[in-house]
Amino acid sequence: GGDSDGGSEELVLTPAQLIRSLEQAWLNEKFAPELLESKPEIIECVVEQLDHMEANLKRAKRGDLKVSIHRMEIERIRYVLSSYLRCRLVKIEKFFPHVLEKEKSRAEGEPSILSPEEFAFAKEYMANTEIYLKNVALKHMPPNLQKVALLKSVPRPNLDSFVFLRVLERQENILVEPETDEQREYAIDLEEGSQHLIRYKTVAPLVASGAVQLI
Amino acid sequence: GDLGPFNPGLPVEVPVWLAINLKQRQKCRLIPPEWMDVEKLEEIRDQERKEDTFTPMPSPYYMELTKLLLNYASDNIPKADEIRTLVKETWDTRIAKLRLSADSFVRQQEAHAKLDNLTLMEINTTGTFLTQALDHMYKLRTNLQPSESAHSQDF
Repeated sequence: GGDSDGGSEELVLTPAQLIRSLEQAWLNEKFAPELLESKPEIIECVVEQLDHMEANLKRAKRGDLKVSIHRMEIERIRYVLSSYLRCRLVKIEKFFPHVLEKEKSRAEGEPSILSPEEFAFAKEYMANTEIYLKNVALKHMPPNLQKVALLKSVPRPNLDSFVFLRVLERQENILVEPETDEQREYAIDLEEGSQHLIRYKTVAPLVASGAVQLI
Repeated sequence: GDLGPFNPGLPVEVPVWLAINLKQRQKCRLIPPEWMDVEKLEEIRDQERKEDTFTPMPSPYYMELTKLLLNYASDNIPKADEIRTLVKETWDTRIAKLRLSADSFVRQQEAHAKLDNLTLMEINTTGTFLTQALDHMYKLRTNLQPSESAHSQDF
């Protein structure tokens, strides 16, 4: 496992490191208010790893203990992977017009927030919602009120919500914006290993780069 | 990861989920961590009560480990009941401090807090409530003046 598929940054991870990356992606996705970058390399490698382990188990039929231990491990990894993917789907359904808009207006080199399958799902979800609204309510409205601006009516993710994080890589001079008009902004340093409570907006780029971990 | 080798009679380190499972199947005996000892825990509890700040805990998972080990392997742990009481007292003190500190954070509308010596269990116990409360406060505050980013239907 851990083979990368010809990307420009070839990272060969040990299985333990791969699972660690999956857990990090999972926790970040769980606690972030918006949909994060999709991680196709991690997902592909984890699925490969699970298939590999399943195949091994099918062959080794002796020794009750070993087999059941490996089976437990497979179930645990599978749970994390499912939870991660489900968390993303919940956010896609919740913020569908914004997610699609962001993906459509993405610049060339920028990473995608949707996998091809998720993108297809989001488009279908949007189309289905539009058809539903039309059939249930809109076509019965007077002609000039038959449009719904989904981008305006569906609430955006609240990037101002507070999150807890742990620092993985030291960061200097992070600007904390004031909450009230009487306060002024100030800068803090994030020491490696320290834990903080702060607005998501302030640290969003650090989550994306892996410098901090949401907890 | 790699585990083992498993030889009868010799202690080996395994992840907690595996240890609990093997213990339930009566295949092993669990050895409590060093800090799970009456004197050590008394020291920690007293330290916590004395200081206003949070003392560093011997393990970032002290609460989870105590619960799991005392539930599934209390026969392997000397003075299990005393240990249970000591850990609970320390936990209660810490949670009380956390509540005070969260209250002051919200009251003074702070933008940032450093919580180094808190364990995940403590953070997650009050965390959701705190972040949702902060979000509500923020929404209430920013709705006092109409801003350009406010979403409203325009007919």
